[in-house]
Amino acid sequence: MEWVVFTVLAVWLLVSAGGVLFAKHPVHVVLFFLSALLAMAALFLSLGAELLAGIQLLIYAAAIVVFYVLVITTVPWEKLKEFEGAYRRELLFGLPVALMAFGAFAYLIAKGEFAAPKGQVTDAVRELAKTLFTSYLFPFEVASLILLVAMIGAILLGRREG
Amino acid sequence: MKTIPLEAFLVVSMILFGLGVVGIVARRNLITVLMSLELTLNAVNIALVGADHHLGAAEGQIFALFVIALAATEAAVGLGIIIAIFRLKRVDSTDEIREMRG
Repeated sequence: MEWVVFTVLAVWLLVSAGGVLFAKHPVHVVLFFLSALLAMAALFLSLGAELLAGIQLLIYAAAIVVFYVLVITTVPWEKLKEFEGAYRRELLFGLPVALMAFGAFAYLIAKGEFAAPKGQVTDAVRELAKTLFTSYLFPFEVASLILLVAMIGAILLGRREG
Repeated sequence: MKTIPLEAFLVVSMILFGLGVVGIVARRNLITVLMSLELTLNAVNIALVGADHHLGAAEGQIFALFVIALAATEAAVGLGIIIAIFRLKRVDSTDEIREMRG
């Protein structure tokens, strides 16, 4: 049963990622991206990371995708070009490098030894919150500062000059 | 849920990362490049959460949270830059931005 769920979610995810790569229209690309994010949230849920699945849905599938859709509707892409295509030469040169990286990763995954499990977590959200607000409190606050700086930077970048 | 080994999640994460890198290198549209970058970040998240589930720890999910926060930051700044590029240069393709080419 777990394998069925995992296989369906993984195939859904990878097909959506392929759609992001090969769809021509920007709106179709965003829709495939949204589909990939939903598959990923389901994958997190099947792994027992409920909080992360919710955050994935709220932040990624709602906020970030709305960002992208806003930019796509703001910028009149259709007036410029109908199809932008892909770089064939770069793809051709990049493919052997990608395959070599794949080989290295696959070797590591097949031959490497994983650390032994520490034990089963019963309440993932409680454990997560406890660790986040004790050991990782300072990185958490730094992340909020980074978000603030990014907000100011985005406002400055998007401002009309003059 | 112990029946699915960690390798399965790592393989999915690896393939997704490769697809994202191919998208970054090969696509022309700036927005699609940014979205492929988000795919690679998500691939890392899958590996982190899978390892977390395997080890029975909580740190992987915390790192995934930070990755999501960084992805939101990157989306905001990246889309701001794309809008600025479009407004200043009227281009939307990565090969038309060549002021800094040597």
